[in-house]
Amino acid sequence: MFYSDDKKQYSVLNRRTFFLYLFKLSFFGIVGWRLYNIQIKDSQKYKTLSNNNQIDVEIIYPLRGMIYDTNKNILASNIKVFDVYIIPENTKNINKSLNELNQIINIDFTDRRKIIELSKKVKKFEKIKVLENINWSDLEKIESNKLNIEGIFISQDYMRIYRYNDIVSHLIGYTNKPNREEVELPFIANMPNLEIGKDGIEKSFNPKLIGKSGQREIEVNSYGRIIREISRKDSKKGNDIQITIDLRIQQYALNLLKEHKAGSAVLMDINNGNILCMVSTPSYNPNKIIQKPNKEYWDSILDNELSPLTYRCIQGLYAPGSTFKMVVAIAGIVHGVIDTNTNHFCNGKIGLGDRLYHCWKNNGHGLMNVSDAIKESCDVFFYEISKKIGIDKIAKVAEDFGLGKIYDVPLPNQKKGIIPSRDWKKKKYDESWYPGETLISAIGQGFVLTNPLQLAVMTSIIASDGKNIKPNIIKQNINIEFEKLEKYQNAIKIIKSSMFKVVNESKGTAYNSRSESAPFAGKTGTSQVRRITVAERESEDFRKKEVEWKKRDHALFVGYMPVEKPRYAVSVVIEHGGSGASTAAPIAKEIFQFTKKLET
Amino acid sequence: MLNKIQNLNYLLIFLVILISFIGAAGLYSAAGGSYNPWASRHLIRLGFFIFLGVILALINIKYIYEGAYIIFILSLLLLLSVELIGVFGKGATRWINLFGFSIQPSEIIKITIILALARFYHDLKFDEIKRIKNLFFPILILFLPFVLVVIQPDLGTALSIAMLGVLVLFASGIRIWKFVLGFFVLILSIPLLLNYLQPYQKDRIFSFLNPEADALGRGYQLIQSKIALGSGGLTGKGFLEGSQSYLQYLPEKQTDFIFTLIGEEFGFIGTMFIILLFFLLISVCFYISIKSNHIFGRILSIGVGSNLFIYVIMNISMVSGLMPVVGIPLPLVSYGGSAMLAIIISLGLVLNAELNGNLKKLHNA
Repeated sequence: MFYSDDKKQYSVLNRRTFFLYLFKLSFFGIVGWRLYNIQIKDSQKYKTLSNNNQIDVEIIYPLRGMIYDTNKNILASNIKVFDVYIIPENTKNINKSLNELNQIINIDFTDRRKIIELSKKVKKFEKIKVLENINWSDLEKIESNKLNIEGIFISQDYMRIYRYNDIVSHLIGYTNKPNREEVELPFIANMPNLEIGKDGIEKSFNPKLIGKSGQREIEVNSYGRIIREISRKDSKKGNDIQITIDLRIQQYALNLLKEHKAGSAVLMDINNGNILCMVSTPSYNPNKIIQKPNKEYWDSILDNELSPLTYRCIQGLYAPGSTFKMVVAIAGIVHGVIDTNTNHFCNGKIGLGDRLYHCWKNNGHGLMNVSDAIKESCDVFFYEISKKIGIDKIAKVAEDFGLGKIYDVPLPNQKKGIIPSRDWKKKKYDESWYPGETLISAIGQGFVLTNPLQLAVMTSIIASDGKNIKPNIIKQNINIEFEKLEKYQNAIKIIKSSMFKVVNESKGTAYNSRSESAPFAGKTGTSQVRRITVAERESEDFRKKEVEWKKRDHALFVGYMPVEKPRYAVSVVIEHGGSGASTAAPIAKEIFQFTKKLET
Repeated sequence: MLNKIQNLNYLLIFLVILISFIGAAGLYSAAGGSYNPWASRHLIRLGFFIFLGVILALINIKYIYEGAYIIFILSLLLLLSVELIGVFGKGATRWINLFGFSIQPSEIIKITIILALARFYHDLKFDEIKRIKNLFFPILILFLPFVLVVIQPDLGTALSIAMLGVLVLFASGIRIWKFVLGFFVLILSIPLLLNYLQPYQKDRIFSFLNPEADALGRGYQLIQSKIALGSGGLTGKGFLEGSQSYLQYLPEKQTDFIFTLIGEEFGFIGTMFIILLFFLLISVCFYISIKSNHIFGRILSIGVGSNLFIYVIMNISMVSGLMPVVGIPLPLVSYGGSAMLAIIISLGLVLNAELNGNLKKLHNA
């Protein structure tokens, strides 16, 4: 039994070994055939190639994809530019050629000397760059004289151009040569001289915008002269990208903001989270960064203490001030601390421990319910209710309304901000939470920090009756449905009617900015950038005084429009603008009216 | 002992030395007609490794049989440690420093895989082979090193491990339909596998599958290596007369691309001669396998022969443009200690199997 089994096995193995042997023999045959083809059949071809000439591979760079706004306006594109070269062997007198060229376009004398020096060092057929990135009209002049000027060679190149200069600069970003780390990025692959996006959409969408490189094999002789092109694979243009920004609103808002030193405005479409306008001042002109020489412009940007490169909409962090009160009120209602009938008396301040906490209105507002407290932005009411709600519950609601988060939108370097809580303080400072800090937080001061995009998202969520709205910057053709946060329904209803009163009832803080053509609702915010001393407070008119710009309060406004079935949410922040009511609310009104006009 | 030395297969040893000498000549030429830096070390290594191989041939096969699994596990740990050094240390590497020698465990593991599989099928009764559960262990033996090598990432070696596995399992008598099934499972699992990869890993694999896209790197080498081979013609340009190789057109001329240099200097006759020598060497391994009276010796010899075959075919296909450039050396000819060590040691095992070919029983099962 055992023996016969063995015998069977060996016969199977012998058969298998034989098959394997045949298999290998056939592979040796294939390899031999291949070598026969290369070494015998095509030998002559390779012998010629090997004698003098060598094959070089040249990379063909792809054209970068374009960026459009929501209405297909071209925000970023590529223009043809031309470089002018001179080839020493094609001219009898290089000096004469350069002089002739100089009569058409001015070439610096020292540059001319350098070119002549260089022409003595390099190989006779090598191109020497004379002029870079010249425009059409200059090119035409050269072209019409080309036959007269010996040795001139013109090559075509592409340059990125941003047609709207500073209007969308922060959002789009700009391109530049990759630095040492970026050269390693996979999408750059074999194109070390490729211009890549350095900021904004240009940076986030590098892999999509870049496209695929092509290549051509060229035969060069032993001196490096190109003999012929052997093969060519064209490059593939990068994909275009369309963003949700409406250039008209963006431009309009920028002009409004330019009346102030620094600020930002964000407008969102509540239906789909699309960001229609997201503008920040001071702005910069990306074209001036791209065009060399740019040193002077770079220095002016870097020296500007308002830091024009900062995208305030996502990188500027501000205490939200009274715009935070909606969140506190909602937390109060949801957790049963207050209802519409809860009243607190404001006499201008309350004491906690050994400290006094002041309302912005020194004389006090009198008896306040939640609706009045939002409408007139009474601080004391919120001090009182925050004591009962507690900071952790406020923080939870704030996060549900989109604050303290980095959004999943393709914008680099978003700043998260701070929504403080007991845990947060323990982790950050290893200190316990003081009750007074809850009071300060309840009016959006103290630790609380938000960016303008977060405020716009918060307002969108309120305006949509609690839909969990996510901001979106890339135009999509799909309908987005956001999940509704049911538990906040009731509270939001109360808050929305209060926000209506802020703008549309007398004594409302933004009553002066009410609009007949585009009625809207909202909330003002004025956030302190420093503590007000007792002496100043006693001097009564500390708010009216002309204080130094840097020490002035930030002005904020958040709002939505129309009042019924809201479609747009806005957040406006003017740095050191004084007060939300006087500076930010009027800008929000203008943006709403302009947007409304575009609709019709 | 003396008896054993007399009975050594001197044809095999002669072939190894002849091929290695051709390699040394190529390395001498690649260095511009100098023993330094490659040819001299190549020959010193050859002498040392042959000595090791012969020693290995003379020891009792029982020890090798009994140690097969332990050696496999040790080499697997060695491979794993390279991974860990790669993760925690100075970045990805394929090398490990052992007793002052730089060793590439991925070359060694191929031999220990053969050993482990040979022992497994030796222990298994023939009737048991067809049972599905007995596939589990051999597949594990192949899969673990395969995965470790893939994540290095060294897809060339990974591919050769997979091919080695298929050939050895085929030789062991696994039913044909299982290979067909395995092939379909593999094809179907490719998209699934790609799903799990990070984008940068995918990029690596795709640029790996399509090196022509990376024209300045691997594509460039390929063009140059074809010119070198083709310009050699029938008889070649003559020893030390190859122009392409000197001109630094081939960055890896002393390792993976050494065959092109031989093709340029010795022509089609030279390349065919090397191929013939390898074919003879592999045939000797097969002959020893058929002659062997025990399964361990059979699988071991056929496995070592197949391993050699995979090296040779992959390398020559690569330099002649039949397959992508994957970084597989030409055994005994290319400069590099690990591959040479692995090849000669494995041939020592084959010699051993031949000397002990008449053994009736390896173990008391």
